[in-house]
Amino acid sequence: MLQNESQDIEAATATLQAQPDSKTRRYDRQLRLWAASGQAALEAARILVTSGSATSTSVLKNLVLPGIGHFTILDASTTAPADAGNNFFLNADASIGKPRAAEAVPLLRELNDSVDGVADVRDLAALLDTPEGRQFVAGFSLVIAHNLPKTTVEKLADLLWQDPLYPPLMVVRSAGFLADFYIQFHEHCVIESHSETAPALRLTKPFPALQAWADSTDYDTLDPTEHAHIPFVIILIKEADKWRAEHNGALPKAYAEQKAFKAAVLARQKKLDEENFEEAEAQAVRLWTEKGVPSDVQALLDLPALAPDASPNVAFHALLQTLRAFVSDPAGPGTLPLTATLPDMKTDTESYVRLQWQYKEQARVENVRFKELLRATHPDVSIDDALADAFVKNAHHIKLLRGRPFGAFARDAAALASALDMAPKETLTHLGLNALSAVLERSAEVTPEALTAEIQAAVGAGVVLPEDELENVVEELARAPTADLPNTAAFLGGMLAQEAIKMVTKQYVPVNGYCVVDLIGSTTGVVGAV
Amino acid sequence: MIKIWSMKKNEDAAAKKRPKTSAAQIRVQKDLTELDLPSTMKTTFSDPADLLNFSLTISPDEGMYKGGAFVFSFVINNNYPHEPPKVKCMQRIYHPNVDLEGNVCLNILREDWKPVLNLNSVMVGLQYLFLEPNADDPLNKEAAEELRKNRDQFLYNVKASMRGGSIKGVQYDRVSLQ
Amino acid sequence: MATTTISNGAAIAQDWPGRYYHVDQVLDRPGPRTDESFLAGEGVKDFLRNKCKILVIGAGGLGCEILANLALSGFKDIHVIDMDTIDISNLNRQFLFRPKDVGKPKATVAAAFIMSRVPGVKVTPYYGKIQDKDDDYYLQFNLVICGLDSVEARRWINATLVNLVDPENPESLKPLIDGGTEGFKGQARVILPTISSCYECSLDMLNKPTAFPICTIANTPRLPEHCIEWASVLEWPRVHGDKKLDTDDPEHIGWLYKIASARAQEFKIEGVTWSLTQGVVKNIIPAIASTNAIIAASCCNEAFKIATSSAAYLNNYFMLIGTDGVYSFTFEHEKRADCPVCGGEAVDMTISKELTVDKFIETLIERQDIQIKKPSLSSGSKHIYFQAPQQLEEATRPNLEKTVSELVDDGGEITVTASSLPFSLSLRIHYS
Repeated sequence: MLQNESQDIEAATATLQAQPDSKTRRYDRQLRLWAASGQAALEAARILVTSGSATSTSVLKNLVLPGIGHFTILDASTTAPADAGNNFFLNADASIGKPRAAEAVPLLRELNDSVDGVADVRDLAALLDTPEGRQFVAGFSLVIAHNLPKTTVEKLADLLWQDPLYPPLMVVRSAGFLADFYIQFHEHCVIESHSETAPALRLTKPFPALQAWADSTDYDTLDPTEHAHIPFVIILIKEADKWRAEHNGALPKAYAEQKAFKAAVLARQKKLDEENFEEAEAQAVRLWTEKGVPSDVQALLDLPALAPDASPNVAFHALLQTLRAFVSDPAGPGTLPLTATLPDMKTDTESYVRLQWQYKEQARVENVRFKELLRATHPDVSIDDALADAFVKNAHHIKLLRGRPFGAFARDAAALASALDMAPKETLTHLGLNALSAVLERSAEVTPEALTAEIQAAVGAGVVLPEDELENVVEELARAPTADLPNTAAFLGGMLAQEAIKMVTKQYVPVNGYCVVDLIGSTTGVVGAV
Repeated sequence: MIKIWSMKKNEDAAAKKRPKTSAAQIRVQKDLTELDLPSTMKTTFSDPADLLNFSLTISPDEGMYKGGAFVFSFVINNNYPHEPPKVKCMQRIYHPNVDLEGNVCLNILREDWKPVLNLNSVMVGLQYLFLEPNADDPLNKEAAEELRKNRDQFLYNVKASMRGGSIKGVQYDRVSLQ
Repeated sequence: MATTTISNGAAIAQDWPGRYYHVDQVLDRPGPRTDESFLAGEGVKDFLRNKCKILVIGAGGLGCEILANLALSGFKDIHVIDMDTIDISNLNRQFLFRPKDVGKPKATVAAAFIMSRVPGVKVTPYYGKIQDKDDDYYLQFNLVICGLDSVEARRWINATLVNLVDPENPESLKPLIDGGTEGFKGQARVILPTISSCYECSLDMLNKPTAFPICTIANTPRLPEHCIEWASVLEWPRVHGDKKLDTDDPEHIGWLYKIASARAQEFKIEGVTWSLTQGVVKNIIPAIASTNAIIAASCCNEAFKIATSSAAYLNNYFMLIGTDGVYSFTFEHEKRADCPVCGGEAVDMTISKELTVDKFIETLIERQDIQIKKPSLSSGSKHIYFQAPQQLEEATRPNLEKTVSELVDDGGEITVTASSLPFSLSLRIHYS
């Protein structure tokens, strides 16, 4: 390396970061998924798990490792020989006869020094009968319940549904190879959904600087190298303008028109294999698919608002209303705010950096306008800039899920009938697990006949159930009604932890509905979504 | 254990034991023995027992590089054809798409490689670089600049470099056959 | 390479009553989707707990989970191979390791942990490469589960297990269960070598590794990744010559980061960070405990069902996407007729000991059932006759005069390639 070159590098890189600290290195593989903001949310989370079963400790393992703030295992039982055999977070036969929660907590805590964990040997059913107990349960950020007795889980679900500010509840039930789980929440809002669909580039409605660039680009005055490096964005804007001029202001609609448009783009090439024109052809689909407001975001804008002060998502709703105002603002672009992220494209460095700068600048202008609207329409809601920035940046991918109380699906005859039709196996497995809780609750023998009777009673005597699917479910449940199999527990432990992480970080999209797991066929399916 | 063997009896097509040769090895055997190269290209194996390391000499019979003999090394690993062969130019040559370290800019050697391509496609691609050097996406910027701005000067430089001359202070390897 | 075997032979504890209360519910009686061959009760328990021997390849993110699940399920003779040592970035998911274990071999630490936590289970670690082991080693197992992050290692074990299948020996067919994860996504599959689709059959389903055009890196960088690749692909060898880049060495990463940052600044490109530099040069794939738990559980569940016949097993591919709700897809991946590993034909041929290679090739060409033109022949690493290129044809031409029996042992294999074949043909040679 030449000396002055190396001096340049030293000068240019004087402010570089050092190697990351050991916490960052430990969490490196997960920070690449949910970044520091997701990690902070995890570290602030306090999670209650209502037993020390194999499934429960499997879930906790997968939450302690990434570093949740706190967990409590609430479990009044002592370790049975069976627990010592199927639970990795007990000291095998040495734990038999000792409190299960107290035996499990240290073995989970040793997975991660920074996590706080507590064993609580009180009885959940008794706690739910006292105001202090209910307050205690409602004070966590998330509650996870595995195989609770029927009345206890119903009481718990009722309590946590009472106030939208109470924590979401994850209910998981398993028997042998079959299981289901459900997340009870009133509403769940996601800004960073990490959608893999590309944000709009405003090709059909270019902002002024972009339009000016396209207008000033003359294919014929460029030298061959420059011609081979015009960004596809500019090519498509120019071609769209030309097409509109020739077609009464309309863009290609029918398939034949789209084909003709693409051919026209390719015909612009001055020599074979101009990759930027090939890219423009491949990206032309954006012209007829990109909407100012994607339909799923439009559906959110059209949602009736919840009573604002009763929602834990006040800020999200304020931002959503502002987004509605932004889209309908006559002075605005009439679309969602621009995202500054530009995909890579075949062009030279200078054009790309210039294009990126133009997108950034326009995104900044629209971001400022968005925040003006936010302050004007919601002067009382405190929203920090970082949150508003994240919302604007992810406006194309925001999600809002609304849920129902645990158990509501099984009481909704119309929904059940349609689910039995669409997904008989999953629906019957869900109903079978309901039936199993009912039979176990009255300490009756679990037989296929008893389960069938429960299921039939739940759907109504007149409903004809598919015979083979029904038999598969009730016979399998009767075979292993109380089995918490190590592999099923580990599978559910992973599933529930994924969902818990999505709930807590408010990143990615959690499941809405009952996720039914069949580890014989190795399938999962969701039924009973709103 | 499940009774797999009873399923096996019904599968006559696959019922025989196979030789202990890696898929990469067989694939290279197939690629090499089915090469369909013009007389302008020739492979050389320094150890004929080793199919994974060899060189290719390209002697263009037309175009600006006619009269030269250009040598490329091929190194194939056991992950072939999931990974492309690693190809480098063994001489320092004056070419817009080959840098002074021997790196070659050919799409199918990196970003556009796929397992359905084979050694023949790579070799044909390399030869094409000598017939149609590409000035738009260069590795040797100066050579590309010259090709774009002054084709005659570029041709002169090519000929000089092939004789082992130096251009703008860079000494090139002699690759001329004469 | 050192082989460490931890044996607790004397320490095999008596199973306490009720230990297998949960698992026994599915072993004591069949379910509606259980095969008739299921030996409910003592028969299956005896096989699982006293006879079955299982190999786990990889003691990393999936491997740690797989070992724990197998041990709790009742597998008592488990072997594990891993060539890696423990790094601090493993600790967010590889739950058998603690900060004090950083630098130690994964296989050894994982085996010791499982044996201390689950009494009566024997885990035999091997700290080394799967390629160190021969056919006899792999033949001792009933099942193989893979939790690997390398395409190359997977292709190797897949081909090895396919090649192991001997038509004369039913025990030679070893089910292979393979898992893999990336972020919130993963897949698990069951491969019955030579019977169902193998790893090589689905090679084209893999995402190809990101690679940027070298001219972009050299001349028109636009992304921070282009600057990082410039530093690692072009600048490192130029400046350091033959010194190999060690992506685990923080000084090396630091140097790349510095060079990439300077280049980014020169071109006004934003976004080069230490983390991105490391991610690009090490090709880091995001990994979390929960996804590994799901996929490892799925693999072990299949191993359990296959070993016990207690329920139908996966046929043959389970794919999970957990980024947007829970979406999974279970399907049968089809075997590929032209698969280089399990496809193609295998033909027995009995020939005279005196037959020359030259005449043998003529015989092949004349055979109506094979339809072959211009065949090239090899046996293992030995080249018998190559039609091209010229130098190899000349080098192998003297073999044409030799007898086949001079070059190939009785019962040996010949691999034939030809443009008229979809991939290759194997011939098993016997002498009359």
